[in-house]
Amino acid sequence: MVSTRRDFLRQGACALVGGAALASGIRDFGLVHAFAQGGSPATDYKALVCIFLNGGNDGNNTVVPVDQTRFAEYTSVRASAGLALPAPGQAGGLLPVNPVSGGAYGFHPAMPELKTLFDNRQLAVVTNVGTLVEPLTRATYRSGTGRLPLQLFSHSDQIAQWQTSVSNDTSVTGWGGRTADRAAHLNGGASFPQVVSIAGTALFATGTTTRPIGISDARTPLASVLPLNNPPGASGYTTAQTNARRAAFDSLRGMDLNHTLVKASRDVTEHAIQTSIALANPPSGLPALPDFPNVTLGYQLEQVARLIQLRDALGIKRQIFFCQLGAFDTHSGQMAANAHSALLAQVSQAMKAFYDATMAMGVQNSVTTFTLSDFGRTLQPAGAGAAVGTDHGWGNHHFILGGAVRGGDFYGRFPTLALNGPDDTDTRGRWIPTTSVEQYAAALATWYGLAPSDIPLVFPFINRFPTANLGFMA
Amino acid sequence: MIEPTPSRFRSAMRRLAFACALVCAAGAFSSTQAAPVILTETATTRAIAVDAVTKLRDPFPLNIPGHTVGANTRTRIMFFVLNLELLAGEGANALTAEAEDGAGRKYALPVENVMPVPGFGAVQQVIVRLSDDMGDVGDLLMRLNLHGVSSNRVRISVGHAGGGPPEDPGSVPAPAPATPPAATPTPTPNQYGPSSTTEADAVRFLEQASWGPTTAEVARVRASGLRAYLEQQFNQPLVTYPDYPLYPTDTALGCPSSTGQAVCLRDHYSMYPLQWKFFTLALDQRANSDQLRQRVSFALHQIFVVSGRDIPYAAWMSYYLQILDRRALGNFRDILQDITLNPAMGEYLNMRGNLRTNPNENYAREILQLFSIGTDELNLDGTPKLDAQGRRIPSYTQDTINNFARVFTGWNLAANKQTMINGALVNVFNYQDPMIVTREQNHDTAAKQLLNGVALPPNQSSSADLNAALDNIFNHPNVGPFIGRQLIQHLVTSNPSPAYVSRVARAFNNDCDALYTEDCTNVRGQMRAVVRAILLDPEARGDVKTDPNYGRLREPVQLITNVLRAFNATSDGVLASRTSASGGDLTNQLDQPLFLPTTVFSYYTPTYEVPGTGIQGPAFEILSTSTALRRANVVNTLLYNGVPVSQPNVPGGTQLNFTTFEQLASNPAQLIDALDALLMHRTLSQAARTAITNAVGSIPQTDANFARKRVQMAAYLIATSHQYQVQR
Repeated sequence: MVSTRRDFLRQGACALVGGAALASGIRDFGLVHAFAQGGSPATDYKALVCIFLNGGNDGNNTVVPVDQTRFAEYTSVRASAGLALPAPGQAGGLLPVNPVSGGAYGFHPAMPELKTLFDNRQLAVVTNVGTLVEPLTRATYRSGTGRLPLQLFSHSDQIAQWQTSVSNDTSVTGWGGRTADRAAHLNGGASFPQVVSIAGTALFATGTTTRPIGISDARTPLASVLPLNNPPGASGYTTAQTNARRAAFDSLRGMDLNHTLVKASRDVTEHAIQTSIALANPPSGLPALPDFPNVTLGYQLEQVARLIQLRDALGIKRQIFFCQLGAFDTHSGQMAANAHSALLAQVSQAMKAFYDATMAMGVQNSVTTFTLSDFGRTLQPAGAGAAVGTDHGWGNHHFILGGAVRGGDFYGRFPTLALNGPDDTDTRGRWIPTTSVEQYAAALATWYGLAPSDIPLVFPFINRFPTANLGFMA
Repeated sequence: MIEPTPSRFRSAMRRLAFACALVCAAGAFSSTQAAPVILTETATTRAIAVDAVTKLRDPFPLNIPGHTVGANTRTRIMFFVLNLELLAGEGANALTAEAEDGAGRKYALPVENVMPVPGFGAVQQVIVRLSDDMGDVGDLLMRLNLHGVSSNRVRISVGHAGGGPPEDPGSVPAPAPATPPAATPTPTPNQYGPSSTTEADAVRFLEQASWGPTTAEVARVRASGLRAYLEQQFNQPLVTYPDYPLYPTDTALGCPSSTGQAVCLRDHYSMYPLQWKFFTLALDQRANSDQLRQRVSFALHQIFVVSGRDIPYAAWMSYYLQILDRRALGNFRDILQDITLNPAMGEYLNMRGNLRTNPNENYAREILQLFSIGTDELNLDGTPKLDAQGRRIPSYTQDTINNFARVFTGWNLAANKQTMINGALVNVFNYQDPMIVTREQNHDTAAKQLLNGVALPPNQSSSADLNAALDNIFNHPNVGPFIGRQLIQHLVTSNPSPAYVSRVARAFNNDCDALYTEDCTNVRGQMRAVVRAILLDPEARGDVKTDPNYGRLREPVQLITNVLRAFNATSDGVLASRTSASGGDLTNQLDQPLFLPTTVFSYYTPTYEVPGTGIQGPAFEILSTSTALRRANVVNTLLYNGVPVSQPNVPGGTQLNFTTFEQLASNPAQLIDALDALLMHRTLSQAARTAITNAVGSIPQTDANFARKRVQMAAYLIATSHQYQVQR
């Protein structure tokens, strides 16, 4: 029985998800969202911060089992080519961590900050998570009976699927954006955009009704991240002439909107102007933030922290941020000092600085940071010696950080590190994921404030998996 | 597809044909191309449209009752259309249809069939399918687009009658003429000979075929005609990047600590010299400058990416860019060959030094996915082939990648070279000459399974395998539509009709029926034929394109060159005065850092869909809240500041010349006319003209430098307007 319009729309969408019409129905999905919104504003503050490790992080060298048996499996594949990290206790060795639920693992030696956060139970690890359309095994993968994500091992497609959560089709919305669509009511009448990218345009951040904004990193003060420059002084324009130029600039934006791309261009500019006005006059007397490392991800996360600091001034209760660090596509030279270890050091130091900043602002329990990446990488090395690297894989390990995280533990199943083994697609050590991106994401979206009934609307395949909540969020 | 019998057509037409004297044929909508006219009732804009199955008038049900037609149950609607000037071979894939509901929501309606109505002269019937995401929307305004030209908008009702958008301003009924006009012969493509080119079309042509129209170049195009102009461009002597000296990878060796180290690093260990050269070439406004090659080459650079982020040596990159320039108007097979063996590419995508043990898959994957055929099997018109279940068909598998990875083994750098640095000869890696097979033992000699069932026998040499594999890729039927569509997107429009793509793909395939006679060479992959087919196509040409989805966002590099060329900039191409390799140049500010794309996927994705529009707009991927305002600020900098130069070791900067426009400044209407002609091919709306005129009027003639200030004011407002951001 259909009780309300909203229920009807939800049921309709669920039926759609279950049916074969999904490929053509992805767009309708968002329409349903737009129609079915409603609810009261939130009273508390929450933010999700995505860090995308672009290129495909080698999770096999980021989190390594260090019990005798499995460490031997790891070194047997990676040591001879010079790709294995030393055991804990050795020079430059893995940093030992002991999950609450058992097991002995090591973090990459470049990540002492994340080890400390893990030990303090502010950081959790989700293991062997990846793009999936439905649960798979090696048997169903290899026999072709299991439905596979499109274009496995391809950067662009796998980046898109991690960001959209839709692995069997091209989606024009990301799960960050769709989550924001469903959470729009929580922000009440706040006009500041719910989703902010510090790393350019990202599919993750685009919803059906949600339009993210993109701003520069912390090297530009917030008040000047979106300037619109006047004629330079040397031009000899009077104030009246400058004002006349701006008035005409503004009035033109109201005209000639029938052309699709012209209007789309105008909409981006209009959004930028409105946001610029909102950021131009921050409240005075905001306390200084702790120092951030002067590196790409440090600058980005520092800007996120500064925006969070403005949450009350902007009247905003829910925010989603997108940051990105590149160069993880380590086909060769992975063990060089300036390669993988430098990237992980940057991730570790920047995430630690960001967590400290949330502590300083008293919002450490309200802000959850997590990593995404294109895919994991082959356990089997590509090349050897100084040139050693890794090729594109699939399932990967990821970090979740924050006061609301049930930290100090691993979630999901850890793959067997064996070529041609039970988790391998073939013979190179590409792990068939045992946890889907949607399961990982749904746990975060649930914490963010989405109702259980919203989850299948944002994550179309979630009901194919045993649980929609991995339990890593308190 | 629904194909009722001719007798039912005739009866439908008889029922619906209304006596009317009003002629709504060619000429009613001014353009070099006739706009299609959808027939309506006598006194309203309601379409004469019937359910294609039941032949009932609207309101139409959403789905076909008792559906029996194919997998999609949506209702098909038949319209009757005049002035539908289809080319030979064009069908439904040349048309797009779009409807708007009362809430302003737009729907793309798939066009499934178009054919003449027997016995009704030039009247054609067009069948469209209601879109999957449409509900009981009531009245809609609907239009057809052909070759970038839009029809009148007509009213239909879906679900129920009523509601719907208000009438378009100035819209009139378009009833069927009492006597249908005679069927016109199928138009042949315009030969674009001498004196056939209008000013507006010449401006549009130069936006597509050069780095931007100038008043002088518009006159030259009009004087020679498009076809002769293209021929002249094709035959320009090659102008390209110089042979920069190879430098050692060790910067301490190449630029030892001393005064001038920063300049040395800038000139040998950054993209700066290439950026400088790029703009110098792009801004060359002399007659017969090598513009078309530069424009096509830059499009190729965005398809076959080597990024200076990973290859930060000016010399290495210069030898790569030389290939794109040299081959841009040559043959596609040569492009594949040369880029595959180029050492910068070999370094960037890990083909160099690839061994038979654990061969790296990177180049194998990208040459298939990005450089040639893409991930899905394509029809000739660029649409994906579908299997019986309606799913896309992958054009290769991981296994194919593994096989190609084994092909690309055994190659490495040719013998070292020497460069004179500070008076001493230094050994340097050879990133100039093509890679060679240094040790045949490094090549995987097992048999390999390639595309389309082609297998390479075992025990072939590295070269034999590589040549056969590149032939295999080159001959895949995807290449024409896959590469052709992207080139159209880079030069002309982001959403070409499949029919347009198919014409360009046929040019690639050397289908002589689709070619200009001079291109019928019996050679596949001729880039001149492809470029000619792109630029002379009816979908590219014309004074004004009224299809609301037509055009492409000016990418940042192009925005800069278009503004500079319009104002006769004198420039050495250096757009930021820098003494070191760091420091943001203007392209970097706009997220298109020249020669430094973030990844092998270039600055933006060819298939990027503009949020909320349902259509593609690749360069929108880098139009963010930040860059939208920076585009205005870059225009502000260019028009008001130029790029001053005051330091040693930097070139002469960039300055604009407004003289010809300043002469019109005392008459704002004339000034705006002139700018409208050159920048907007006379599409500026009356409302926009008024707003700009008012702003210009704020600068009185008594003001010092009023002429320059007025030109700058008007130019800024046009070049920052959303209307100008889209090349169309």
